[in-house]
Amino acid sequence: MYTHNTDLLVIGAGLSGERIAVEAAQAGFSVICLSIVPARRSHSSAAQGGMQAALGNCALGENDHPDVHFADTVKGSDWGCDQEVARMFANTAPIEMRRLAHWGVPWNRVVAGTSFYFKGGEKFEKTEAKEKAGLITARSFGGTAKWRTCYTSDGTGHAVMCTMDNKCAELGIAVLDRKEAIALIHDGQKCMGAVVRCLRTGRLETYLATATAICSGGFGRLYAATTNAIICDGGAAAMALDTGLVPIGNPEAIQFHPTGIVPTEILVTEGCRGDGGTLLDVHEERFMHIYEPQKAELASRDVVARRMLEHIRAGHGVPSAYGEHLWLDIRHLGDEHISTKLREVDEICQNFLGVDPRTQLIPVRPTQHYTMAGIRTNKTGAAYGLKGLFSAGEAACWDMHGFNRLGGNSLAETVVAGGIIGRYVVDYLKNTDLCFSSALVKAELARQQERIDDLMASRLGKENVYAVRKDMQEALTEGCFVFRNAQGLQRCVHILEEVLDRAGKIGLASNGLGANHELGAALKIQGQVRLALCVATAALARTESRGSHNREDYPDRNDAQWLNRTLAYWPQDNRAPKLEYEEATPYFEIPPGDRGYGGGSIIPADAEKIAAKTMQNQE
Amino acid sequence: MARTLTFEIFRYNPAIPEQKPQMQCFTLAETANMTLFIALNRLREEQDPSLVFDFCCRAGICGSCGMVVNGRPRLACQTKTADLPERIILLPLPVFKLVGDLSVDTGVWFRDMYQKTRSWIHTKKAFDSDQEEERMDNAVAEQIYELERCVECGCCIAACGTARMRDDFLGAASLNRIARFALDPRDERTDQDYFEIIGNDYGIFGCMGLLACEDVCPKHLPLQNQLGFLRRKMGITALKQLFRKSSCAS
Amino acid sequence: MSIHATMHIVSPSRRDAYFDWLQMLTGLGLVIFMALHTALNLSIIFGAKSLDIVAGALEVLHLDTLAHVFVPILFLVHFVLAARKIPFRVDGQLAIWRDARLLNHRDTWLWIVQTISGMVILILGAIHMWTTITAGAVQAASSVARVQSSGWTMFYLLLIPLVQGHVFIGLYRIGVKWGVITDKMRPKVVKILVITFAGVLILALLALARYATLTI
Repeated sequence: MYTHNTDLLVIGAGLSGERIAVEAAQAGFSVICLSIVPARRSHSSAAQGGMQAALGNCALGENDHPDVHFADTVKGSDWGCDQEVARMFANTAPIEMRRLAHWGVPWNRVVAGTSFYFKGGEKFEKTEAKEKAGLITARSFGGTAKWRTCYTSDGTGHAVMCTMDNKCAELGIAVLDRKEAIALIHDGQKCMGAVVRCLRTGRLETYLATATAICSGGFGRLYAATTNAIICDGGAAAMALDTGLVPIGNPEAIQFHPTGIVPTEILVTEGCRGDGGTLLDVHEERFMHIYEPQKAELASRDVVARRMLEHIRAGHGVPSAYGEHLWLDIRHLGDEHISTKLREVDEICQNFLGVDPRTQLIPVRPTQHYTMAGIRTNKTGAAYGLKGLFSAGEAACWDMHGFNRLGGNSLAETVVAGGIIGRYVVDYLKNTDLCFSSALVKAELARQQERIDDLMASRLGKENVYAVRKDMQEALTEGCFVFRNAQGLQRCVHILEEVLDRAGKIGLASNGLGANHELGAALKIQGQVRLALCVATAALARTESRGSHNREDYPDRNDAQWLNRTLAYWPQDNRAPKLEYEEATPYFEIPPGDRGYGGGSIIPADAEKIAAKTMQNQE
Repeated sequence: MARTLTFEIFRYNPAIPEQKPQMQCFTLAETANMTLFIALNRLREEQDPSLVFDFCCRAGICGSCGMVVNGRPRLACQTKTADLPERIILLPLPVFKLVGDLSVDTGVWFRDMYQKTRSWIHTKKAFDSDQEEERMDNAVAEQIYELERCVECGCCIAACGTARMRDDFLGAASLNRIARFALDPRDERTDQDYFEIIGNDYGIFGCMGLLACEDVCPKHLPLQNQLGFLRRKMGITALKQLFRKSSCAS
Repeated sequence: MSIHATMHIVSPSRRDAYFDWLQMLTGLGLVIFMALHTALNLSIIFGAKSLDIVAGALEVLHLDTLAHVFVPILFLVHFVLAARKIPFRVDGQLAIWRDARLLNHRDTWLWIVQTISGMVILILGAIHMWTTITAGAVQAASSVARVQSSGWTMFYLLLIPLVQGHVFIGLYRIGVKWGVITDKMRPKVVKILVITFAGVLILALLALARYATLTI
């Protein structure tokens, strides 16, 4: 038995995981980070756009302030977020960006003088101030009042990931790759670590830790069409759900991205639209301004995704062998802009489509993109239900995003939340001693080994894991996508229940030895289907439209009934999730209002209740 | 269109040492816009679930899927089958330790490299959260990013004749990493400090200028120029020391 | 993974740097020498008299003596330094050979050409130098007589292309290794070098033909 002991075990070595690790290591605690892939290959590195922080250095971000950022975030969340958390985030973000600059991130900087930019296809002029030259600059990104998104060309996630991983190397943090956690070790009260499958040898190992942090990213791979990396499969979230004690917060809150390329669903950044790219239909004509006269292509992403599908449904989609799509046009931005600022977009088009975006249109359509849903934690990042378990980043529902996350807020969340929660983890470690029962550890290890043996010997059935997975993905894509309705969701839940049965009867077709992929997929499929059922069931239950959760049969945002957060539990031996609800936010700094885009009316909550919960500012 | 592709794939599972490494043939009907990502996943899901290979982002960003495709190390995810002949030979990257079939252990190799190159900003300044960030010229930031684009896929190492002959050679990715920090005004290391890391035959002077790194790099990093820059810089650093020493002696 | 506590991978010796400088400088010295040597020999194309005039001029300047002393030294030092990079163990040789075959990459093949030509030049060049240095002053008559004696034409037919190839590949390699040739210049420089190489080789072989056929 391979057993490792550490103060902090981080599952997932992306940005938020490594940020927590850095905080703990700097406080003198031992840390082990586990990752399915080498840390720098984490999905964090795929985020091209940038990180939102109210630094206010660039001309069009002048007079920006965390208050404005906070307001954008709350409005963006459609008042579904925890306002205390959103406030912590907005206030800390600028400091964290400067910290990253100190650690080595090559942020783009303010260049004094006059230059041009595009907005909605039109050319504008701006003048950067001399006294700001050399400070961290920002660009425009979906749906914000100010230019606030800090970036490094078009590889922000990659560049920050490099710096963060360098910091881990500097601090001597053990970052172990090809290690996949498959079960948490806990006694019903306290989390003590995890059972881990080594993806080099296939062997099981145990990692015992005083504190465990799940920072495994989103679970887009529950859907057939997603921009997520293939490691974003919800394995770790399902592992937490599997305890029966830890809930998934707002599982129905899933965001779709308007511009995944067809057919590989690779994301082309919103920066394209931010920089002036336009969306065209089958007649190669712009259409976004018809639906959103104010913001047109710059409206928030769920609005754009929703309008695109609406336009396709109205018969204006471009037919293709992979179904209908629309066009993204960045031809007018010019060779220099495309070769430098949008180089990765250029590479994607050339490498994966054989399209030259300087002269040709890019085929795009909406795909799954981000899970606001995640392991529900309190503001300190501590998961509900188990002591010593933390979560941060996309894996968590910390909940600054509510029902819709703003572009650039998620990448910023990874490091900002990582820093904040890292400090709470340090507090926890200072005040807690690890005590664990070796019998418990052995029992969990034996239970996992038995699962593996069952799968390898096909003791429970002969179902093919890839076929089951495909059916799950298709059910969710069919019934629980951008637009949802009761009929589709009921069918989706029904299909998923059947799929869940089959997921319990998987048998391996291969021998399962060594770095076997089929075994890895088989070990997590049941958890994935449960997670999918949480998503569909919660979406069916929420009879309103809020943020990215769009119900065709309930188009209004219903604050009277639904100004709350779903908590989906999966009690042991249940066949369906148990849904509970909690208040969306402990208090309102900004009482519920209209976010100003997206359409649909609002059924207001009881005014007295809201007033009672609203902060009396400026004492 | 509608070709039938033949894949010859290297097979070896270290967990079953009694089985010898071998090449295995698969056939697959080509579809429009097919990449090796799509093809290999179909082979695994439809024909042989024991097939081992690595993909992560499948978008050419993460560097997981480096493998030797018809003789050239490259990223499988951004290799379109339409650009390949009907017979496609896939081998794992050489130099790195084999995990199984087409999967190699780049993770450990690169983590070791971070320690060898001391791959982080060396500064005595402490971060002050109340202070404005240190200013930097945007052009410098962009130059740093240009080198930071490395995705650590290992293609340059696998293609390097020197690395094939001596496994202690740092290789282009590591030397590029040094170039990235040498460029960064925040890093307080001197040329002499860098010389101590790469001023030898394990480092820049071991490079024989075969330029396979430059020619296979999927991110088109300016490796040739950086290697030349480092050789001059380190060469001059050594000469400076020589003259300093001799002037001291006289 | 354990974290290595060593501060540096190797001791900060400057030996490898000096060797690298010397390898480049001796190579460059030999390139310059070969350029002059080739120019001298090309004069045979215009007849024995022109060769004797050029050779005589060199003698007056004592350049021949200089060359006789320094070229063998450069030659040997360059060989020893460059040979550091050649694998002498079979597995190393196999590795680079397999690499070149697998990659089928021009510059990797060129390096193999360079090492093999270097080995052959070491032997043939040494023989050539020994005979010319011991023969005393360069004169058309004696040179022509030697080339026309048994086997020497074949000897030079082998040596000349190898030396010219080695010179041009070496020059290119110095250029890319030290960053004189940048990535943008590389395709153009390759083209220029190939054309120049072809021209020089044709002229050098023409000169050899004159040596082999001239009657004095």
